[in-house]
Amino acid sequence: MSTNTNAIGIIFPNTYDEFVPQLTNDRLMASIPFAARYRLVDFVLSSMANSGIDNIAFLVNKNYHSLIDHLGAGREWDLVRKNGGLHIFPPFAMGSPKAYTGRVGIIAGILGYLRDQKTTEYVVMSDANIAYNIDFKKIIDTHIASGADITALYNEQKLPESAIASTDSSKGLYYTFKVEDGRIKGIKINDKDTGIKNFGMNVYVMKRELLIDLIDTAFVRGAERFERDVLIPELNKLNIQGYKYDGYVARICDMKSYFEESMKLLDDHNLDGLFAGSTIYTKVRDDNPTRYISGSDVKNTMVADGCVIEGEVENCILFRGVKIAKGAKVKNCIIMQDTVVEAGAELEYIITDKNVTITEGKKLQGSDSFPVYVAKFKIV
Amino acid sequence: MGKEMIAMLLAGGQGSRLYALTQKLAKPAVPFGGKYRIIDFPLSNCVNSGIDTVGILTQYQPLVLNEYVGNGQPWDLDRLYGGVHVLPPYQQAKGSDWYKGTANAIYQNLSFIERYDPEYVIILSGDQICKQDYSDFLRFHKEKNAEFSVAVMEVPWEEASRFGLMVADGDDRITEFQEKPKNPKSNLASMGIYIFNWDILKKYLTEDEADPNSENDFGNNIIPNLLKDGRRMYAYHFSGYWKDVGTISSLWEANMEVLDPEHSGIDLFDENWKIYSRNPGMTGHKISKGAKVEDAMITDGCRVSGTVKHSILFAGVTVEEGAVVEDAVVMGNTKIRAGAVVKHCIIAENVEIGENAVVGAAPTADEKGVATIGAGVKVGAGAKIGPTGMISEDVKEGEER
Repeated sequence: MSTNTNAIGIIFPNTYDEFVPQLTNDRLMASIPFAARYRLVDFVLSSMANSGIDNIAFLVNKNYHSLIDHLGAGREWDLVRKNGGLHIFPPFAMGSPKAYTGRVGIIAGILGYLRDQKTTEYVVMSDANIAYNIDFKKIIDTHIASGADITALYNEQKLPESAIASTDSSKGLYYTFKVEDGRIKGIKINDKDTGIKNFGMNVYVMKRELLIDLIDTAFVRGAERFERDVLIPELNKLNIQGYKYDGYVARICDMKSYFEESMKLLDDHNLDGLFAGSTIYTKVRDDNPTRYISGSDVKNTMVADGCVIEGEVENCILFRGVKIAKGAKVKNCIIMQDTVVEAGAELEYIITDKNVTITEGKKLQGSDSFPVYVAKFKIV
Repeated sequence: MGKEMIAMLLAGGQGSRLYALTQKLAKPAVPFGGKYRIIDFPLSNCVNSGIDTVGILTQYQPLVLNEYVGNGQPWDLDRLYGGVHVLPPYQQAKGSDWYKGTANAIYQNLSFIERYDPEYVIILSGDQICKQDYSDFLRFHKEKNAEFSVAVMEVPWEEASRFGLMVADGDDRITEFQEKPKNPKSNLASMGIYIFNWDILKKYLTEDEADPNSENDFGNNIIPNLLKDGRRMYAYHFSGYWKDVGTISSLWEANMEVLDPEHSGIDLFDENWKIYSRNPGMTGHKISKGAKVEDAMITDGCRVSGTVKHSILFAGVTVEEGAVVEDAVVMGNTKIRAGAVVKHCIIAENVEIGENAVVGAAPTADEKGVATIGAGVKVGAGAKIGPTGMISEDVKEGEER
């Protein structure tokens, strides 16, 4: 924990919703359940709160009921503050007659709020599709020391196959950086090359005044996308420094990466990579400890509180309140909260959303490249 | 506006019979059942019964308890009017005093109760594991038009002489009180939970305080005085799970009963009567490939690579490869290193059991002890702690106790 940091946090919880259409059918990217008891937003929000950023704006676009329910007043993240705290900005509240398109329009809607935060010098912007545990204080310090106008985070990783294979750019834009001596000299949109790339994390640090100026000017020109319409045209004028983030990154780009990034956490090395830093907070549910009844057989599995396990479980992530009955076999699955797997049911490579019931003796089979998804409240 | 009923929770007990477990914390703060502390039970009962004002009387080692209770938010007891208040003894104009007895502890806080101008006050005990609906108790108290009611449990006649007993007539009106008698006339044991009409409580506490010969105790002084004056006193029968966890063996036993809710009656899974606690904020727990887990309760943050049988692991416990944990209660953040064997024991928080160390043993016909390791203790590699061991200081490598 640190003392207050002189920055506002801005979070875009809807970015890349369309990459995981099943999971965002009635929620948004930020509220996708992840790592047995969290939602994706917990990572960016806890990172900001732990870095001393206690004035945070959520620019929500649609399907945000689950997010608002999750955040409450922000108490779990210690963000109930008289000065600052959480601010949730829905689209229609800002005089905009339609849902937002692109970051520019969204930020333009809160320029008034940004102008009001006169005592705060910096802003940190982030999406919510990456689970990370970042010390933003360190990044802001680096930003100041470098004299950059903007600092942009990236990590070195392969682009997801689904992105490379996609021929439909309207399904979302992603950015790769050309970095020379720390400075970003080129930003490529929807790169189709294979191999390790400087994959932009859409996390930016800059002065509040600069953001206001950039957005004010760009909005008038009809700009929509922050990277495409603001950063790329200004690459030569603005000193945009690339910050290579070496910490643990679990980036959700499609169903496959959701499955893989979840399963990776079964390796203690990865689990520590994500969680060993500061505490990641989430909404508390007051479940009892998980109960293993005689006859249960559990191997290589991460389990949250409140489960009752009587059957066989291997290589799985079990969220809170899951019940695995006697004789059920669950292998290589992600079982979200309050799902019930009844006696004798067999599941392999399945993702069940919240409150699913798999009835007695049912067999469901997916594959590692194509896990089968069962929607919320479904009874199979 | 006055409150109908507020609760006063007696949490000052030292819990000296818990030895190593209560060296640095008060008994109500002792961890229980995987993610709770004893005090979670009365606090959760209060909020589930619709009581939103609770005074907690503390004086022994209050630091952990104070920090744990905090503003009462985990129990939904952070209220604008009411809520939870920790009440330590304090200095007054006419001098200061520790709480001399249970009655004196409440007496010193009459002004706290007065602020809420309640009709009734329920006196609770901070050292019991019990899920009880106090609103049903109050309904009984009102129905009987009582001035004082006490919750009682039927106990086996052969054990009755260990308890404070209420002798009651066919209408549950109390006619006599026997404190641990040789010849019990009743098997209705007092649970130490009382409802008083506020005016009666105030009157008797004030009179008791003026009596220099009084021990200022509810059982020894207040209840006999009420009886003497022929007050309307009733016994409310409670038949659910109730356990005084004042000793190492009863604490161990109650934890083991949590593992078997179908038979023991202590069901922590009850959605309609949740027990709330302060959350440690850890990830889900992890069962590794080679681990074996059977008949156990495991909490967030645990990492299990060894064998866990018929045991309770609190948040953040590590059980390394080849380690065996059996019939054990292992509290928060304790590490059981590779090859260590812990059986039939209670291991407190932040303990480290070294590689291949042995703690406790399965009970035999003449040896039924529960080995106990106090908080923060390091037990060296290869050390051996016998089944009656009570350890509150580090144990060297290879040492036998």
